[in-house]
Amino acid sequence: MEKIIGGIKRECYPLTSAQKVHILTLDYSPTHEIVNIGSGAYLQMKLNLAALREALNRAVERCESMRMRIWKDPESGEVFQYIDPYQNEYFEYYDFSEWEESRVEEVLNKWTSQPFDTYGGKLARIVIVSMPNGYNGYYFNVHHACMDSGSVIAFSRDVMEIYCALLYGMPYPKPMTSYIESVKKDLEYEGSKKQKKDEEFWNKVLEMPEPIYTDFTGPGRLIQLRKKNNNPEQRWGLLPSANGDGSTITYELDVDSTKKIMDFSAQYQLPVSAIILHAIRTVLSKFNDEETDITIRDFVSRRSTLLHKKCGGVRMHCYPLRTIMPLDTTVLDSIRMIKKAQDEIFIHADYGTLEYVRKMRPRYGVAPGGCYHSVNFTYQPGTLGGLGEALNGIGFKSRWYSSGKQPQPMYITAMHRPGDGGLNFFFGYQTECATPEEIEFLYYFTGRVLFRSIENPDKTIKEIIDMT
Amino acid sequence: MDMLAKMKEIICNYVEIDPETINEDSRFIEDLGFNSYDIMCMLGDAETEFDITIDQEEIASCRTVGELIKYCGGLVNE
Repeated sequence: MEKIIGGIKRECYPLTSAQKVHILTLDYSPTHEIVNIGSGAYLQMKLNLAALREALNRAVERCESMRMRIWKDPESGEVFQYIDPYQNEYFEYYDFSEWEESRVEEVLNKWTSQPFDTYGGKLARIVIVSMPNGYNGYYFNVHHACMDSGSVIAFSRDVMEIYCALLYGMPYPKPMTSYIESVKKDLEYEGSKKQKKDEEFWNKVLEMPEPIYTDFTGPGRLIQLRKKNNNPEQRWGLLPSANGDGSTITYELDVDSTKKIMDFSAQYQLPVSAIILHAIRTVLSKFNDEETDITIRDFVSRRSTLLHKKCGGVRMHCYPLRTIMPLDTTVLDSIRMIKKAQDEIFIHADYGTLEYVRKMRPRYGVAPGGCYHSVNFTYQPGTLGGLGEALNGIGFKSRWYSSGKQPQPMYITAMHRPGDGGLNFFFGYQTECATPEEIEFLYYFTGRVLFRSIENPDKTIKEIIDMT
Repeated sequence: MDMLAKMKEIICNYVEIDPETINEDSRFIEDLGFNSYDIMCMLGDAETEFDITIDQEEIASCRTVGELIKYCGGLVNE
């Protein structure tokens, strides 16, 4: 629909369900940087400033979601989005090449903590940077209602491929797909037959008996909450998250160990995400008196078609992945059960996350903010790897930066490193909910369970718990 | 349009591949580069296209385009 914004006629669209989650986060957060995603992409080669500026401009021109703006109708209070026409942009340049790596990281984290003006302003900032050790590239901060990590990766790949095309005459990459087309498809889903089918599925999920909260530090928090509410039967948990202060700890799994996981995945035709989820699930069971009913919140990228793989924007939805399995279930059966549960989520993942939560709370009598999961998880198979090969071995690295805020109490992202392909585990956490020592403990046991399971696929969950 | 042609059309919405190179022996994961999420979404499209309901348990062993066509064909004929 057309709207007049700042005296200019704009084609506006309502926000999608994935975007609404981030706008809601802002409503409940005292600071707006909580929705920032900071990243960097760097090549170990001499910087051609003019070519990189040109590449960035071409990439912004091709990527509609980089020019997306959010507007709140002052009369109705309704929130809309529109695409600002492309205008040539001048990207600033900072030279950090003589700085200590840690000091640069501090600066880029600080930049990531600068909030955007959500309603009306630009929702992305790019700065060209020279980094220590001969790396040159750009720092990128973007509003989460504009992009998710999959989009950041797709955009960064586009920039680097255009840069290489300009420098070396390599083939120009295929254009990005239309973000607005993907928005239209999401909006068409509202009220469709498919939505009805998905709703029926989620209603059925909610017919199950109440789940139980399992904390990554053990049962202590649930016990305390039961005492506080004077309800010994209470099954939902509530993590403190008043200010959202947070941090991220990254663990790098070596290439050989990553290969073991990938080989196991190929041998048994089981997805890597289900294997990692099995490990996290088993650790939660171990930490919570061998509980058999475990819920982890699974984030789904919803980027399967070619349109969605390269359209930018934010598409992530998240749902509880609940599995109930006896302790004598074997590792292989556990992973298969998780895969099955995950497949069902995948089929019905277009249903809005907020719609599900709005149904779940009254169904089980859960207080606002209450839930049954303590861990959020996503596996990101896409990487910027391969670019190094395209550049004939020129070193490449990417980085994620922290705004100092975390929207989730505990969010584990497993992602392959560009270059060697090894797995990185990012533990994003709110400082009110976890300490670095607790994260270390969680990672240590997740790793132990993961590899004991791969080495002993016919052992039972109980045996794996006892071995670790 | 026969079922293979329809299936190729659906597959080409998911992966950048020349439809001519897709045949009944093409394996979704190893040859076409699908991941498990792509497969589930593609099955959803097949359900809509052929107006069938796919049983997850029954489809679990389908690894090739030909096996999926055989399975969907059976449901269409029912």
